[in-house]
Amino acid sequence: MIRLDNVSKVYKGQIAAIRDATADIAKGEFVFLVGPSGSGKSTVLRLINKEEQPTAGEIWVAGKMTNNLSPWRVPYLRRNIGSVFQDFKLLTNKTVQENVAFALEVIGRPRHVIRTQVPAILELVGLAGKHERFPHELSGGEQQRVSIARAFVNRPLILLADEPTGNLDPATSDGIMRLLDRINRTGTTVVMASHDQGIVNSMRRRVIELDRGTIVRDQSRGVYQ
Amino acid sequence: MSKVLYALRETAANLRRNLTLTIATFVTVAVALTLSGAALLMRNGVNDITARWRGGVEFIVMMKPDATKEQIDAVGNDLKANPIVDANKLRFFDKAQSFEEAKIILADTPTLIDALGLEGSPTQWKVVPTTPDPDVIRGVADQFQNRPGVLEVIFPAKYLQRLKQLTGLLQGMILGAAITLLVVSALLILNTIRLAMFARRREIEVQKLVGATNWFIRVPFMLEGLVQGFVGALLAFGGVWGLNRLFSTRVAKANEVDVLSAAVASSGEVRGLGILLLVIGVVIGTVGSGLAVSRFLDV
Repeated sequence: MIRLDNVSKVYKGQIAAIRDATADIAKGEFVFLVGPSGSGKSTVLRLINKEEQPTAGEIWVAGKMTNNLSPWRVPYLRRNIGSVFQDFKLLTNKTVQENVAFALEVIGRPRHVIRTQVPAILELVGLAGKHERFPHELSGGEQQRVSIARAFVNRPLILLADEPTGNLDPATSDGIMRLLDRINRTGTTVVMASHDQGIVNSMRRRVIELDRGTIVRDQSRGVYQ
Repeated sequence: MSKVLYALRETAANLRRNLTLTIATFVTVAVALTLSGAALLMRNGVNDITARWRGGVEFIVMMKPDATKEQIDAVGNDLKANPIVDANKLRFFDKAQSFEEAKIILADTPTLIDALGLEGSPTQWKVVPTTPDPDVIRGVADQFQNRPGVLEVIFPAKYLQRLKQLTGLLQGMILGAAITLLVVSALLILNTIRLAMFARRREIEVQKLVGATNWFIRVPFMLEGLVQGFVGALLAFGGVWGLNRLFSTRVAKANEVDVLSAAVASSGEVRGLGILLLVIGVVIGTVGSGLAVSRFLDV
């Protein structure tokens, strides 16, 4: 589903953010990217999402090499990839259901599809009955559920999560992880960057560890260490 | 279809949501375009005034007091035949008429009038040219300078050419001001739209992340710019119309300052200018916001 072939990323005039990284992530896998701050976890996610261009190497997403993808095709690539962030990135002036519907509107889904899919996904993430709330009226965990609903409402092949529990307390984080696990069980490939040891250790999934831009460990059913 | 509806809904919502900024843009566009429009009208006005002055300039072929009737008639016939001479307005002053004129001109110095006397007075051809161009008039006037019986060709060349230069300078300055104001208004609109966009950069970021195409993001912004440019230009149209109206009523009241009446723009001129302002407003608004949004699309 996702393949990195000797990928490097060097920002102008700086040391390499990613150095010669190679990894192959199969469809339906759940992968943790771990490592200290600045080790390149977010950069890997941004490379997959084509928010960044690799300096060297090849990146394959859903069977296509994305290196030379023309700019106007990038949006279509992203429709196969849902993204979740530490800071949720919700639109504060839209309600819960508007935030989720937004993701379908901007890719031109007809209204009757939106009307059935949005309530279904909100039910799935456990926000039934909070459709009309605004983000500031919700707890952090609930806001992250809205953000996950928005990322998943289009049923993408891949879900990228960048420290999705970084702002949440342990109990709330567990809830979010159960939700991501549930999404993973539907066949969606999940790649999650995290430095939360407890979560990584309790999930026992594949772990790819980065250190200063280099992959130093790739272990199935691994722990944080 | 759902995309069109989405774009329209988004545009309306954005205009409403950023009401203060929307009003600020309206006013900015309106003020800048009113000033440019007024400058352009003034430019036309100056043109009309100087055309009237130039049209009123005559030259005089003064014949010697002892010129024969044949010499006078020969000059007169040649003047009549010349294409730049308005034959219908060509007038001949005989000695008596010239002497009467001299009495008026020389009223302060009666000794000169006595010295001139009726017999010493020249006869004159008073010529009204059909062209306002001083260089052409000068060429024709010079042709008559050396004809037998001609005392002198009196031609206010210096003043005409000075007027021509002055008018050119004045028009250049006003045009410069109008262009500067247009550029300033374009920058102001661009900046205002950029400000609106900066306030919504998060929304744009999210749109990009969920796979919206660049045009899908851009179109509501461009429609918003179009509405802002159009409404602003409409206000400017009203402003220019009002200014011209105010000016023309003032001129009508003080009707002795006849020359200013040439500067009052006709309703056709104002309408033409209004259409120009609307086109400029719409183009600046649409293209400006299209350009402004591009900076934020580079994710």
